[in-house]
Amino acid sequence: MDAPANDSDHPNLSPRKLNFNAVAALVFIVFGAVLFFITPYQVEKPVVVFGQSLNALDPTLFPRLVALGIFGLGIWYFFKSFSLREHNRFRDLDRAGYVNVGVSLAAFTLYALLMEPLGFILSSVLLIAGLSTFYGVRDRLLVAAVSIGIPVAIYFTFTRMLQVFLPAFPEL
Amino acid sequence: MWDSFLQGIDLAFRFDTFAMMALGLVLGMFVGALPGFTTVMAMAVLLPLSFFLDPLVGIPFLIGVYKGGIFGGSVPAILVSIPGTGASVATTFDGPALTRKGQSRKAMETALYASAIGDFSSDIITILCIGPIALIAMQIGPPELAAVLFLSLLIITVTGDGVFVKGLLMMMFGLLFSLIGQDPIGALSRFTFDFFAIRSGIPLLPMLIGVFALPEILIAVERKAASYMRGSLKIEAGERLTFAEFRRCLRTICRSTAIGTVIGVMPGVGQVVAAFMGYAAAKNASSHPETFGKGELEGVAAAEAANNAVNGPTLVPLLTLGIPGDNITAILLGAFIAQGLRPGPQLFAEQGDIVFAILIAMVLANALFLALGYVLIPVFARVVTIRKGLLLPLTIVFAFAGSYVYRSDPTDLLVLVFFGIFGYAAKKLSFDVAPMVMAFILGPPLEYSFGQTITLSQGNLAGYITTERPITVVILILTPMIIYALWRKSARMRREFAAAE
Repeated sequence: MDAPANDSDHPNLSPRKLNFNAVAALVFIVFGAVLFFITPYQVEKPVVVFGQSLNALDPTLFPRLVALGIFGLGIWYFFKSFSLREHNRFRDLDRAGYVNVGVSLAAFTLYALLMEPLGFILSSVLLIAGLSTFYGVRDRLLVAAVSIGIPVAIYFTFTRMLQVFLPAFPEL
Repeated sequence: MWDSFLQGIDLAFRFDTFAMMALGLVLGMFVGALPGFTTVMAMAVLLPLSFFLDPLVGIPFLIGVYKGGIFGGSVPAILVSIPGTGASVATTFDGPALTRKGQSRKAMETALYASAIGDFSSDIITILCIGPIALIAMQIGPPELAAVLFLSLLIITVTGDGVFVKGLLMMMFGLLFSLIGQDPIGALSRFTFDFFAIRSGIPLLPMLIGVFALPEILIAVERKAASYMRGSLKIEAGERLTFAEFRRCLRTICRSTAIGTVIGVMPGVGQVVAAFMGYAAAKNASSHPETFGKGELEGVAAAEAANNAVNGPTLVPLLTLGIPGDNITAILLGAFIAQGLRPGPQLFAEQGDIVFAILIAMVLANALFLALGYVLIPVFARVVTIRKGLLLPLTIVFAFAGSYVYRSDPTDLLVLVFFGIFGYAAKKLSFDVAPMVMAFILGPPLEYSFGQTITLSQGNLAGYITTERPITVVILILTPMIIYALWRKSARMRREFAAAE
């Protein structure tokens, strides 16, 4: 278990009428209600023989319980939110922080989409070289050595030693 | 059970098991020594490696990573006052002060010996207790299992970080994610929205890596990950720990081991609580409490013995009931399942020899731990200087490679990214992801055992459990009382932590 979240560096935080917790609670309430109503349409119907279901447990039971749980807990959370002193840590991010995280996430997503078309080695070289440069590593020789050497090493470790498949080269 | 134990001794002594455990220990210490990189993250990223190894090699490897990581966090905690892992926060109370006095070597050796003794002792206790507990667990039927799983989910939620209702909501989302795919009883499709990729449900490994590894990386890159430690991190080639100093810490080590062992058995509590409680107990029992916080070797010994003593006993609820008590055992559960070993009441009956072999290997790993730690302390002191700007992309590549080889399905990489974003948002908005992960893992067996109970009851559920399954009734009655008691204790401990920090 991690150390408890500590908002003591925001000592003047007072409960606000509509804080991020209240907004999240409203989202959960709506989500729970929607989930409850779409459940019958998203759960396959069990086979019924002579009016008797072959499933001992209705497959919609647990989903509906979960939906009701989210809805009910959302209501509790909403009322609780007015006494919570938690801080929305997204507010601590400056513009540069948002850019850094956004660029990183975009890189991760592109990497996920391009690993098969480009192959593991090429896509990894591009990711490491691009992100390490973006993160401020200026030693080009080091970046080149690491971005080529490590993916090749990982590729051979997985495919030769562990005998598993990684797409090596671009699909032509 | 005794036969399984003896067969386990035979199986445990393998060169490849020890070699991979040593590798795991080194990797764990390496990651533990890196501030901002957690043991959980290391285990999540290295989990795929264990899939393609024999269970007697792969699982000890992960246990090695776990043990190494918990100790590795003490390196930066002592040298530069930055805890490498949450478990080493209490080590920062006295470790840096010892470094300032030129006694960093003594402090590191104290941490090493305390960790090894705490870990070894608790592993022995684990092996002695796990057999009888497993015998009791084998008497459990579907109704008792459903009740215990439900209680466990609530315990993990109430003892987690943050507000209880937010933990419950995360638990609900974990159950929701576990519903996607096929129901465990009739294999009927649920919430697939006609996407073929999720017909068999959300894959566990990419989810674990996404939720545990990616948020840490995103938090590190908020400040462009450019920061790394400079300056002298050379361990003072000064005095080593003397035998008299070690003997003086021995009582503290024993006390902290006992504390860590008890805490380890309880789901949801973990190393951080153990370290704080061990430190507090040592300070209270000391004849010179005023020296604590100013460079007292017993302070380092107390925290490190307690946090490492948790390692073995956390496997007790995992192996006997299939209930992971924390994030690390959730990852170990993933490893067991991938190896075809389903932890739970029947594991000891069906594959007891393999389980005992793993536990015995875990005990023997402590000898490796001592030797490697002693030799590698100066090496790991340099680890904090590694540029995060290079290390983070490398971690991503490893994480993605591991997720891909799990099923050779590129959709898993998108699952990985999705849960990375989910975990990051959860951290920022003060939601604890542990209940979500536990509910995802325990949801299907909970539903399955509930369904079996319905079948066994033949339409009269209340009558069945009150007349034929009285233990289930007892568990259900005790559940709200236990949760309330834990909730009050958890709130009090949080207040004490805040005061201590």
